[in-house]
Amino acid sequence: MTDLTRLALPRRRFLQGSAAAAAVLAAPGILRAQEKPAELIVRAWGGAWGDALKEGVGDPFTAATGIPVRYDFTEDNEIKPKIWAAVDQGRIPPIHVNWDTTTNATISALRGVTVDLSDLSNLEGLLPLAKPVGLDGYPIVNTYAYVYVCAYRPEAFPDGAPTSWNVLIDPKFRGRIALYDDGIGFNPISVIAGGGTVADIPGNMQPGWDFYEKLRINEPLLGEDADFTNWFQNGEIDVACTISVNARAAKQNGIDVAWTVPQEGCKVDTDGLWIPKGLPTNEEYWAKEFVNFALSREAQEKWCSALGLPPVFPGIEPPADLAGDPSYPTTEADFAKLVSIPSPVLVENQPIWFEKFNEIFQG
Amino acid sequence: MTADAPRPPAPAHRLPLRWRVMDRIEAVAAALWPAAFRRATPWAFLAPALLLVGILLIGLGYVISDSLHELNPATYRLREEYSLGNYAAFLDRPVYLLVLWRSLLAAVLVTAITLVFAFPYAYVMVRTRSGALRKLLLVSLFLPFFIGQVVRAYGWLIILGKQGLINQALEGLGLPAATLIYTYPAVIFGLVQYMLPFAVLMLAPALTAIHEEVELASESLGADWLRTFRHIVIPMAKPGLVGASVVVFTLTLTDFAMPEILGGGTNDFIASTIYDMFFQLSNPGLASALAAVLVAVGSLIVALVFRVAGTGTLGLRSGS
Repeated sequence: MTDLTRLALPRRRFLQGSAAAAAVLAAPGILRAQEKPAELIVRAWGGAWGDALKEGVGDPFTAATGIPVRYDFTEDNEIKPKIWAAVDQGRIPPIHVNWDTTTNATISALRGVTVDLSDLSNLEGLLPLAKPVGLDGYPIVNTYAYVYVCAYRPEAFPDGAPTSWNVLIDPKFRGRIALYDDGIGFNPISVIAGGGTVADIPGNMQPGWDFYEKLRINEPLLGEDADFTNWFQNGEIDVACTISVNARAAKQNGIDVAWTVPQEGCKVDTDGLWIPKGLPTNEEYWAKEFVNFALSREAQEKWCSALGLPPVFPGIEPPADLAGDPSYPTTEADFAKLVSIPSPVLVENQPIWFEKFNEIFQG
Repeated sequence: MTADAPRPPAPAHRLPLRWRVMDRIEAVAAALWPAAFRRATPWAFLAPALLLVGILLIGLGYVISDSLHELNPATYRLREEYSLGNYAAFLDRPVYLLVLWRSLLAAVLVTAITLVFAFPYAYVMVRTRSGALRKLLLVSLFLPFFIGQVVRAYGWLIILGKQGLINQALEGLGLPAATLIYTYPAVIFGLVQYMLPFAVLMLAPALTAIHEEVELASESLGADWLRTFRHIVIPMAKPGLVGASVVVFTLTLTDFAMPEILGGGTNDFIASTIYDMFFQLSNPGLASALAAVLVAVGSLIVALVFRVAGTGTLGLRSGS
């Protein structure tokens, strides 16, 4: 009969030896996987947005790893089909990390072109806001919240900030109001401003469409982030629905702009980071490291403070100029005053809302 | 000396360098492209153009193919099965027809206005006896080509904006500020300014081809300048007018930048809608259907113009 007590040691030795041999054999592969790429390409928005990412994440990441970060300022909607085509055709995607709206990122996740980020070590302890809604795992990771505020020119409001979104349909401001050209940021608010409630969304958007009909008569300008800054700077508009970051950046650049959250509330949303599939193993590894770094306390504090937005890392104090600002929600009570629409609802309904928005404003 | 006597040898001399270079080039060409291939020479010259048109046709094929598949919003991919759903959506939604109509109307207006301005410009440029004036007109014509469409549109924002030069002047005169941008007329204005050089360039060769003596003969037979212009110049310039019309019409119909920048977001053309469908809504099926409709409508109109008025300076023979 075989003496098992004698065999136990050789078996353990055998297993240890095998593990060591496997590690030696696998080492080149692991090392290759961690081989630093010449650079990381991160798609970003320009202006104050890109500056904040560079200062808060890109530069410290380069200092820590030695990997230069290059920013690709291709419009978020334009990079999307390029990435999709690259993944479908088995080509290397044009960027390593995409800084994207959660809605757009969710669409890319549904398309199946995003890498799962569930294994990032810095995900632990983040606010629930970081987790994408309605998706398995972390095909994207949300990095902060932002609010579509009512930005206005104080000179045009001598009696104080507008208290209601009805200011947009005030004939006094005809031709001097602005919205995003796809209704993003205002569609849910239009429902409330039109007499509906959050519960009406998305089932009954009619109050919103009625409000838009009145708004159309007031001849709004429709544009993108950069347009709002130009319009305020050139005195073209008095009031606009835009992201607080744009209003704050304009103010920091000496443009006379202030912002408020009217009684109907403002839409709150999130942006996130994701990595396209199809990158070489080592590049995907370092792209993940970049995203992981962006979720660290150090990066979140710098990046989000520069943007003036509440990060997903808990316990970070707001910048001095935004303490107590309703456009900088930090508590559940703060968020309750804002209007949040889950990404799956936005993804499902955005095309329908966009068509209706176009029908009204192009009509 | 008899006819059979041998000729003295030709004196040795070197041919000019240019001749020798040309001889070498001819020798290399003959080696690369033997005489047997000569019948294919025209096709060889045509090959790059055919290649480009071929690529365009392949792209158009993909566009038409994509237009026959609807988007699956669960995966954001086009469905496998063929369908006319995207074309039905185009017909169901009044906004698409309205935007297409707006683009067509703009194309007609811009073509008409541009020709009115371009014709006298080209006429003076061709007929003037002043070299300085001709140079000035030519420089003024070509200068805008060095400035891109987007930059020019932004230039108009500076001039026509609420705090632009014109409104500042109005303010200085004690008049109220006028809304000069972010309107349909502003888009038309920007497009006319953009298209003017194209029209002049198409008209100038046609006007050059009209001999001045023909106009003199008309006047010597008693016609005043207006009758000569109406009965001689305009009919003889028809090839140029047709060419300029087609170029300006098609460029305007498919323009993107001017309506985007000068339209304030509420005066989109069909190109903007296609862009939105493709990039903002990630619906290549519907975007392709709109693009296919645009190509079909534009081609039909141009074909109709060619049928009625000939191909003008765009054709090889007038009336062909």
